[in-house]
Amino acid sequence: MLKYFAMLLFPLSCAAHEQTPTYPELKYSYVEGLSFTTINVFNRRDDVKYFAIQVFDEEWKKIDFGGVSRVVFIDYLDKKDIDIYIKDQDRGRIKYVCTKSKLLKEDVKFQAVSSRICSKIK
Amino acid sequence: MFNKKYITLAAVLFAVPAFSADVQITGTVQSKCSIFTDIQGVYGSPLPNTLSTAPEDGGVDPVFRIDVAKAGYYIAKVTTPTEFTSSPALTDSVTWTGSVSISEVSDAGMSAYETSKVEYETTTEYDLAIAGTTWFKASSKAEYGVDKSLPAGSYRSAVTVECVAK
Repeated sequence: MLKYFAMLLFPLSCAAHEQTPTYPELKYSYVEGLSFTTINVFNRRDDVKYFAIQVFDEEWKKIDFGGVSRVVFIDYLDKKDIDIYIKDQDRGRIKYVCTKSKLLKEDVKFQAVSSRICSKIK
Repeated sequence: MFNKKYITLAAVLFAVPAFSADVQITGTVQSKCSIFTDIQGVYGSPLPNTLSTAPEDGGVDPVFRIDVAKAGYYIAKVTTPTEFTSSPALTDSVTWTGSVSISEVSDAGMSAYETSKVEYETTTEYDLAIAGTTWFKASSKAEYGVDKSLPAGSYRSAVTVECVAK
């Protein structure tokens, strides 16, 4: 009970990395031969401003993808929609779309916590 | 005739306007799994060749929490460091050991996470089967070479915390 009370009192004292949706959908792009999906990342980590996008298959092997950038800048308390394009031939392989916090060397004061959230393509 | 005119005028003047309004329904889809960093870790140096986050070694274990809004949708993976993200130049190998444990839970049922966790290499997996908040604590220890002192300087590493949709 006390824990919930403390969480209510200090909701902004923590830093979080959030990503939606949990299960994104692959759609066909207007560009022939490409499919895409969109994820939304919300940065509530004041120590992180860059997030790397990663796409994996079921065996956690990397899959090539296209987009604005492999590493996106998302300011503190900012949200960003990120479009991820893959080849149609990889539609059956793609399983996880992840974003991983990238810490700048000068920002790491101690032992840092790197966060990664993965959505699953169903 | 006269009455009709006044009745019409009164009807126009005192007509109750009929308002129609659309009742909006709004909603926001929020993340079902959020990773929070609560305490950044600090390495202590109990021996010339050792760095450790353990409190008995003068360090601070990093603490982070994972909030799950909906049960059974995510797996948490925590990987302790196997390299420094920055350090002075090292000429010998570093032996890494690390562990992850649950420090606090918001639901008594989450105590089962500790017994059902899966460990492989430097990664620990937890099936987040209950909605709520789980606090995790990671510890990391780095031992340098054999009877060698670590060069002076600052050492940094990172624990990786993951939320993977099931």
